[in-house]
Formats: sequence, C-alpha cells, structure tokens
Amino acid sequence: MRNKYVATTEQTFGSGEEQNGIPIRSTLDNSTTVQYSGLITSLTSKARSVVRDLDPQNDLTFLRVRSKKHELMIAPEKDYTLIVVQNPSE
Amino acid sequence: MKTKNAKVQTDEQIEEDIVLFDDDSEELVSFMRRIGPAVLQELEKNNRSHAFDGYRVSWQEEVDTVSRIHSLSHEKLNHELQVTGLSWNCTGAVIAVAYGRLDHENWCTHKSALCTWNIDRSSLNSSKPDTVIDLSSCLLCVACHPKQPSLIAGATFNGEVMVWDTSREDETLVATSGISDDTHREPVYKLQWVAATDSKKYNLVSVGGDGRILVWHMSSRKQTLKLVDGFILLTESLPRKERLTARRGDKEMAVTSLTFSPNDETTFLVGSDSGGIFKCSTKTKGTPASRDVQCSIPLQSPVTFSFASHKGPVYSVDFSHFHRNLFLSCSTDKSVRIYTVLQSEPVLTLEPGAEYLYSAKWSPVRPLLFAVGAHDGTLLIYDLRQNRATPTLRLDAGAKKEPVFSVEFSHAQPQLLATGDAAGNVAIWRLNSELTQQQNHEQEMLDELADVVHE
Repeated sequence: MRNKYVATTEQTFGSGEEQNGIPIRSTLDNSTTVQYSGLITSLTSKARSVVRDLDPQNDLTFLRVRSKKHELMIAPEKDYTLIVVQNPSE
Repeated sequence: MKTKNAKVQTDEQIEEDIVLFDDDSEELVSFMRRIGPAVLQELEKNNRSHAFDGYRVSWQEEVDTVSRIHSLSHEKLNHELQVTGLSWNCTGAVIAVAYGRLDHENWCTHKSALCTWNIDRSSLNSSKPDTVIDLSSCLLCVACHPKQPSLIAGATFNGEVMVWDTSREDETLVATSGISDDTHREPVYKLQWVAATDSKKYNLVSVGGDGRILVWHMSSRKQTLKLVDGFILLTESLPRKERLTARRGDKEMAVTSLTFSPNDETTFLVGSDSGGIFKCSTKTKGTPASRDVQCSIPLQSPVTFSFASHKGPVYSVDFSHFHRNLFLSCSTDKSVRIYTVLQSEPVLTLEPGAEYLYSAKWSPVRPLLFAVGAHDGTLLIYDLRQNRATPTLRLDAGAKKEPVFSVEFSHAQPQLLATGDAAGNVAIWRLNSELTQQQNHEQEMLDELADVVHE
C-alpha cells in the first residue's frame, strides 16, 4: 500500500541516437546525463536486436525498466530517444 | 578518442564536462510532439498503478543465519596484545588490524604491529597475516584510505601518526608526523580520513589524550605529514556543574572518539574521557589553549554545542549514514545512546546489561541497525525496527569472553562485520539477509526517531 501520493519528479531529456547517445536536452546533472544517455542507448539497441532477431517483421517501440528506485521509460526512434526517469510514488 | 586504463583501481575520476548536442531541427520538434503525449499518459498511469507494490526480487540467495566465517590472529604476538583498532579497506577485501594495549600504567615497552589479512584470498592463513608492520610503540588506531586500497594510517601510544603503503615492496612507511611540539604528546585514540574542503584529496584527522584534534596533510614525496590545522578540547566546554575544578576552564580534556559528518566535512563530533560529547566545527575559533601548550599552529576550541554527558569515557561516536542529524555513542557507563545534533538530551538510551561498552557502529546499509561491542565479549546487534529495548542478536565475539574493543562494518561488502577482542583475535562475521537488506519504511522510522523532542 502507498502511504501518500507524491508528485513525481520527471526528468526528461532527449538524445540523438545517430550521434551514439549524445544528449540534446537534459534536466539531470552533467555526469548523470552522460551515464544515462550512454548506457541506455546501448541497452536500447540490444533490446531492439532481441526483438528483431526473434521476428524480423517485428520492431521495438517502447522500453520500460522497473527498478527499486525508479521507472525508466524509453521511447526510441531512428534519430532520437526520449528517456524519462520517474520516481513512482512510494 | 579517449582511452582509460581500466586496470588501475586507484585512478581518480576526472569529471568530464558535457556538451549538449545542438539540435533545434524540425525533426526533433515533431518527434517530441508525437512521443510526448504518449509518454505523459504512461507516466500518469504508472503513478496511479499499484502493480509493483510490495514486489521484491531476490537477486541473492537468502541467508538466514549469522555465521563466523574467519577467526584471525597474529600467532607471533601470543595473544599478549589487544586488538585496538580495525579498518576495512575501500575494496572491502582487506581488513587492517591495529595491535596494542589500552591499559598502560607506565611507559609503553610493547612491540606492537599493524597486520592485514586479505579475506578474499584463497590462501588465507588465519594465524599469519598477509602483511605485518612491526612497531616499537603500541598502535591504538588504524584507518584505511577511503579511495586508495593500499594506504593505511595508524597512530601510536606515544603520539606519532603514520601512513603506510602496503603495495610497496621495500619501505612501506610513506609518511610520518614524527614527534615534536606540533604532534600529539600523548596516546592517539582515533584517526579518520576526511575529504579536504577545497580539493579532492583527503586529510587525516587525529585525536588524542592531550585534547588535541590535529588535521594532517599527507605529502608522500617528502615522507611527512604536515600539520595544517589544529584544535583543542578544553574543560570549559563541559557544563559547569560537571567540572571537577569549577574555577579553571582552560585545561585540556582527553579526546577518545571522533566522527565526521558524512554530509558536511566541516562538522564533527568528539567524545571525551570525561564523558562529554561535543559538536564541533572546523570553522569555529573558540577559546585558545593556555600558554603552556606549545604548538606552531594556534590551537583553539572547536566546540559549538555540548550534549548531555555520559558517566564514563565515551569510546565511540558515530554519525548515521542515513540521517544528517543522528549519531550513536557508547560509554563505560553501560549505555548506548542515540542523539540528534539539535538537542542536548539523547532521543534514545539503551542499557543492554551491566557491561562496559567500547564500540558502537551504524550499519552502512540498514538505517535502523547498529552493532555494539561489550566488555563481556558479546557483540550486540540492535535492530530498532524490531525492538527498541533489547538487542536482536547477541553473539559471542570475544574468545573466552574477552572484551570486544572494536566493531567495524565493511562498507564495500555490507554483509561482513569484523570484531576485535582483548586477546588479539579478530572475527569476521557474515550477516544474514535480514540484517543487510533495507526493510519497508525504515528510512521513515529513522526520520521519526530524529524528530523526538524533549521538553
């Protein structure tokens, strides 16, 4: 059970996938931004290749990662990726 | 293309500046317009969802029992010396042990040693340390460098502060304070590495029986420790009614314990021989030491606040890792207390038994858990989430009921806990999952504890 509803802090930034995860906009601090954009770009391409290897007609459209602290929502596209780090209300 | 050598574990990380990619194109705008509403909708939905409430994944095998996995001792010392200090190095693999005696009545003529064991090594020999550094005076404390695994600092009964580099083949001593007017002239009871305010380096802070709190800067090139700052604890900091000689306040008081705030490197606490606990700041310049005290740096009182005293020497103070105001203390008055820095009276006082208490440490991973070493050889583990009156676990840590002088959690491997006793034995304990995994609402309960107000 949740004890209270907390307004989430949603931090968004886009990253240009063609440039291999160079951030374009970010509301996170510098080092975290670099880490997120780099790591998630490689995770996304791995996830995409899994989907396409299983069925070549299929493709990845959205990726969500649930962790103890956050939920990551990743919307990938050819040129850009939008990554949102959400703190779901506890 | 930048390359980094991944094999060097002692390299400092250089913070890189990032350059945001300059892109204001139509494509970006249209991408955001398209994808934005869908993501916002999902975020909103996710916020209302209960799907993951109470959901836990156990990645590690659950361990139910607390067990002693190693019993270490330096055979050559023949159990004549006590374990006066313990420290894990930053990788969590090596335990450094200070051997000495705390009960000197006269000159120290003991041959003491600093020993290290690498507990991850398969060829671990429990009666023979991996490294032994012999010393001519009792070692009373030891502190491993927070970033460099091979650097170990120690200090002796006669007041000398030293730093060793165990990775060196020949001469391991890399810096020493020597003994002069600028050093401690009495036993050094505690040492701590503290981040320097203006750089990424660490300074060494030592406290001793002469009331001095000295800040050392290590220069490994010159093989010296340079005194950069100094303070002195004076009897005037005690509440007036607790002073033995009410008239004079400029006498020094022995400092027996030290802890720096993890959030603010200018704030620290000291516990004294007299039972007093004091909040101090490195920025405070209070009453200067009397003219009999000789030192090249003017020593002044750093005290900003005095807490309600213990009735015996305070051998341990430790700041909580999870709340900026809470700290733990224990004393030979048989009580272990939790204070907040905002009020003089403790928020919680526990009296586990009729035994002197020598060391109390917070768990690095569980906000409400701490361990205490007692005179009758028991290691007490308190889990305030379960019980505020009695310890959750009582373990026989000291061999043949020898007093447990030091208790040390490993920050790198939180399931490990080391204890050292008066017969020179070190025990390494593996804690169970319950003691190492944060429970639901634990942080909130700790916050509530900190909000207890005394009238």
